[in-house]
Amino acid sequence: MSEEKEVHNPIKIDPEVCVKCNLCDWICPGDLIYKKEDDRTTLPEVKYPDECWYCGLCQSICPVDAIKIIFPEEMINCKTDVRSLLGKDVE
Amino acid sequence: MSWTELETDVLVIGGGVAGCMAAIPALEEGLQVTILEKGKVLDHCGSVGCGVDHYLTIMDSGPEWDTPEFLIKHVPELTDGIVDLEVTSKLIHQMPRVLKKIESFGVNFKDPRFNDYYRLKSFGLPGTYHINFDGTEFKKHIGQQVRKLKGKVLTRTMGINLLEKDNKVYGAVAFNFRSGEWYAIKAKSIVMAAGEVNRLSKNASGMPFDSWHCPFNTGDAHRMAFNAGAILTNMEFVETTLTPKGFSAQGLNALVSEGAHFVNKQGERFMFKYDEKGENARRAVIADAVINEYLLGNGPIYADCRHLPSDVLDHMEATLQIDRYTMPAFYEQKALKFRDEPVEVSISELSIRRSGVYFRGSGLAVDTQGHSSKENLFAAGDCASVSGGIAGAAVLGHISGEGVSAHVKKLNGAKLPDFDSEEINRIKNENEHHLVASGMNWRAFEDKTREVVSDYIGVRRSSKSLELAMQTLSALAANELEMKADDLHGLMRVNETKSIRLSAEVMANAAMARTESRTGSSHFRSDFPETNEKDWKKFVLVSKEKDRMKINFSDASDSLASTFNRGS
Repeated sequence: MSEEKEVHNPIKIDPEVCVKCNLCDWICPGDLIYKKEDDRTTLPEVKYPDECWYCGLCQSICPVDAIKIIFPEEMINCKTDVRSLLGKDVE
Repeated sequence: MSWTELETDVLVIGGGVAGCMAAIPALEEGLQVTILEKGKVLDHCGSVGCGVDHYLTIMDSGPEWDTPEFLIKHVPELTDGIVDLEVTSKLIHQMPRVLKKIESFGVNFKDPRFNDYYRLKSFGLPGTYHINFDGTEFKKHIGQQVRKLKGKVLTRTMGINLLEKDNKVYGAVAFNFRSGEWYAIKAKSIVMAAGEVNRLSKNASGMPFDSWHCPFNTGDAHRMAFNAGAILTNMEFVETTLTPKGFSAQGLNALVSEGAHFVNKQGERFMFKYDEKGENARRAVIADAVINEYLLGNGPIYADCRHLPSDVLDHMEATLQIDRYTMPAFYEQKALKFRDEPVEVSISELSIRRSGVYFRGSGLAVDTQGHSSKENLFAAGDCASVSGGIAGAAVLGHISGEGVSAHVKKLNGAKLPDFDSEEINRIKNENEHHLVASGMNWRAFEDKTREVVSDYIGVRRSSKSLELAMQTLSALAANELEMKADDLHGLMRVNETKSIRLSAEVMANAAMARTESRTGSSHFRSDFPETNEKDWKKFVLVSKEKDRMKINFSDASDSLASTFNRGS
């Protein structure tokens, strides 16, 4: 694995607001959010933040609006030259 | 024995729209249905995660364009002649019936502003076939129907191998990546509905999971079916779309159907140079035009909505979040107001799906019952040879569900083979080895695949580039058994990574075989830049024979089913 900068966590869960209900774990299509079941004392953990699709389903289902999706710089202020995605000329 | 053995009449792999719509008729017929689903719920579409905002359908509302016959007549031009007309005709004929059925589940397709269907024209279709609606709850109703009919769902469970004996499929091996439980599931028939191939190439953000369609759809159906000997077709074609630069998300249909323009850096509205329909051209043509503009040095390209009337802009703004919930947040965090300023766009990453045209799907070749070339194996949705977005998934799903029900009934209780414990053990051991292996991490392995696809198989190809790609992908395959997973979740990703690599290899082989160009950048060979109507009105068929990739061809004027030899 390449050595990297800190992984951006797109799923910000406010620990003060979260009611520790499990719905975000339940709905995540990518199996990223892990929450101990039937336990109202532990917070959900975003275990694989770099695998987030930015679909926002966790935010949409949260009953108390404890989740906010934060886009990273690479997405908000994307500097990639689109031509770099269009293949290489091979003689 | 260290796995759980289950038996069911019908096993459905993938709980998206196609899978659920296939399960429903089988359940209605009183058959036992088990669905394997990598997610935890059936409430959201497999491909887009959230709801849907467009649904393509015939409604028989009166005008000629709204009849199946009219649309079918236009299918050859929509697909550049490479399409299974027999299956597509059936799908189009079934559209009104399936629409009514979905409405009976509680889905409201009407626009509350008019208490009527709001239908729009887009993507080169010869009529206003797309119902624009608030489909936030669309899939929830379909999922609820499956539960109501007592379909059994194994969630957080991934199917990885099909089981076969005497050339017939009789089950699958799967595992739950939360609990680590392994399953051997015997089924009279199986419906593959695991979607398209994503995470296949690089995108603008450089983040592999930032993808237009669901990044957890990774060609698992293609891999399982290919390894079991089923024929895959149209695998040479790639699909891309336009996305706001930096965020690969849905939304092009809403933009073009509501009247947005695309302009280049000179402010030129260029689409009419490429197609007389302008922004209403097929998705493949729009993407190709933008690719060309970038290659000509005319980038950046922008989507411009500023000329649209305020009620249209209001509607666009109000519906922005339907098929991607986070789109408003993206614009907000970017501090960009699409009403007042042009939005810079990029082409998205590539996928193997339906190459930017309706009805030409890339995946398992199927007949008019959804039955693949392999006995007892059916398919629907974006992994099947006829595909058409959400509606295509719903309708072909339903067709496959009826097809599989009739097939299972015809089998008339024939006894299924005993489980091949040796084979199941082999699969399980091979997988568990990844948890202790010391080879390349799945992320690095996948990055390598994406690099090869982007650079050598993507939107510009030649025999040399494809040769290079095939060499690299074969070399990667040699390291596959040593790929490393950190945990059970990682083991699921390892399997996805294998599916992505194999799909890329199939694509490279199919692209090498098609020595012409067709449908713009969906298959552009720089060494064969012309479309060759004389020799290439053909399907490229890829299958596995004696552990090798075998390429065959068939005339596109014949159905794919005419090539099937199920040997039973």
